[in-house]
Amino acid sequence: MTDTLAVIYGLVMIYVSATNRIKTHIKILSLQGILLFLMCYFAVGSASVYVFTFLAFETLFVKMVAIPGVLNRVLRGKNLYLSNDLRIPGIYSLIITSGIIFMSFIASNIQSILLDSTARLYLSVSLASILISLFFITTRKSVITSVIDYVMMENGIFLLSLTLSKEMPVIVSMGVLLDVFIAVFILGFLINKVSETFGQEHSDALKMLKDTDDD
Amino acid sequence: MVLLVILISRKWFSSFAVASYSFLCLGCSAIIYFMPQAAAAPAGLIGQFFQFDALNSYFFFVMSIVFAASAVYNTGYISKSDRRQSEYNYYSIGMIAFVFSMTGALLSTSLGLSWVFVEATTLSSAYLIYFSRSKHALEAVWKYVFICSIGISLAFVGIVLLLIGCGSRNSLLFKDLFANALNISPFWLKISFVFYFVGIGTKMGLAPVHSWLPDAHSEAPSPISAMLSAAMLNTAFFMIMKMFSLMELADLGVYARTLMLIMGLLSLFVPAVFILIIKDYKRMLAYSSIENMGIMAAAVSLGSAGIFAALLHLLGHSMIKTSLFLTAGNVQKLFRTKAIGKVSGIIKVDRLTGWLLVLSFIGIAGLPPSPLFLSELLLLKAILAEKAYILIPLVFGLLTIVLFGMGSIIVNMAFGQRPVTLKEEKVPLGISMYLPQIILVLCAFIAGIYFPGFLLNMISSAAAAIGGK
Repeated sequence: MTDTLAVIYGLVMIYVSATNRIKTHIKILSLQGILLFLMCYFAVGSASVYVFTFLAFETLFVKMVAIPGVLNRVLRGKNLYLSNDLRIPGIYSLIITSGIIFMSFIASNIQSILLDSTARLYLSVSLASILISLFFITTRKSVITSVIDYVMMENGIFLLSLTLSKEMPVIVSMGVLLDVFIAVFILGFLINKVSETFGQEHSDALKMLKDTDDD
Repeated sequence: MVLLVILISRKWFSSFAVASYSFLCLGCSAIIYFMPQAAAAPAGLIGQFFQFDALNSYFFFVMSIVFAASAVYNTGYISKSDRRQSEYNYYSIGMIAFVFSMTGALLSTSLGLSWVFVEATTLSSAYLIYFSRSKHALEAVWKYVFICSIGISLAFVGIVLLLIGCGSRNSLLFKDLFANALNISPFWLKISFVFYFVGIGTKMGLAPVHSWLPDAHSEAPSPISAMLSAAMLNTAFFMIMKMFSLMELADLGVYARTLMLIMGLLSLFVPAVFILIIKDYKRMLAYSSIENMGIMAAAVSLGSAGIFAALLHLLGHSMIKTSLFLTAGNVQKLFRTKAIGKVSGIIKVDRLTGWLLVLSFIGIAGLPPSPLFLSELLLLKAILAEKAYILIPLVFGLLTIVLFGMGSIIVNMAFGQRPVTLKEEKVPLGISMYLPQIILVLCAFIAGIYFPGFLLNMISSAAAAIGGK
């Protein structure tokens, strides 16, 4: 069952590269939250009740509800539907995403990695998710999609930490929560400010500071 | 302290609270050195997760000096600003939270907890960088938060990979990691170091992940720029040193040193390229910080002699760069611009500010009696000891280019004719906007001539703590 969930997670990343509707990306974040909760349930369910409750809160409330809620609120009234102005055409993005997933599967099956098959699958999907998210951050111009891609990267990191399953210290979970929760609120605040100040959501607007310009 | 700032809600009290906290930190660092038994770990949870040792005591001492100087300068700097009281409150609370986060990162005995505090430094300093509320400041804080958050996330990936390598020994306490260093899978440890080094290197401002630094340092208020450059970058360097110690203990020191040398050289190359075309003097100082971080990273890659040189360089750079940024704040107040082309004849406008700028430049240039002269001489000695002769033209050639660029800018700014567009009446600057720089430059130059025994002991102990030797 966990293998199936990991494969679905990987397919979701390919779907993200194929679509460019911002609302769809936000819905995918909620879907990733559900998938991560189910993977926690099967991977960590027999561990301490406190650890499982904390992880369930993090996935179901924070990743599935709170973060998409904040992003939807930011999106409201901005008439943004597409994360348009991709730096590279969508078809190439799809090819590169597929290539990253393929290379991640190759990398996680290196002989020296002494993990069981489920952990290898988690490792490959999580590495792919992190690298694909970093790729999206650099190739999409909208600041809102940058934040969405950042949250996807965090989800990939969370999935990576699940390879440790019940051995992961709680403090690591707390770190993930702090990073995602507070950083996203800060970014959510900043996105509103950027929209109000620059009048547009493209990161191209954030190029005023240059070494060769004076004020 | 934070509660008092909110309750009393006066501009003078906000500045006073920050300055008091800074002297408290300075007092604590003195107590730790002179009465080490008083710094023994308290019992219970706090003592388990926060402790002083030889390495973090030294970094805490340097941070305290920088904070005290910035806090004193801040009392005069803020009084010249015309903002709402609530904004001053948030600013002071932000400064206290920022220093608290750095202190937490330094004192943590757990790698995971240190990581949480380093993330907290990003979030607590975001408001401080955005204090001027300008478009440029917004752009700077956006880049800062976004890029540093990505960096910190990559560092977290490194920590997770380290835990995978540790297997069933899932403790992130430094003492456990160091004790079991040889039992950690070398494969996972190497990969984890790459992610961790690149991630925390983003916070340290190492090239090529430095792009946030010139923007954030130039748009922040001058006391905050000083603390970002001379305290926060050091905190990130400390975190990297901890991981470097683990690599040394795991017999992977050569691998770690190679990576540090590569990023150190890149961090010397990038400022050398941009310094000659720069138009903003605060950005110039920011690129100088990148260059000095590069020197420290390269020095660490040269073994124990290089580590000593790096730690000495850290002290000298922190004191002199703080003086430079604070003096740049004076220049900005006097000329109301950060454009190099619009600033000249500073000595004619304000003699003390002009000479402080020149003396601070002599310090950062590594000319005697600057302590950076000593550290760079030790760096040269370490290069010769390691027989890495190719580094001599690389490191010192790039250094020369950076210093030529900075020197030509500062000489033009300090000397020359007063701009005709500048108003006749000088903006009055209080004593608190000169005193910290005078003390820092004096102390730095005295240390360059007669190096105090207690400082030598501190640096030697700190150097010995890296690599566990």
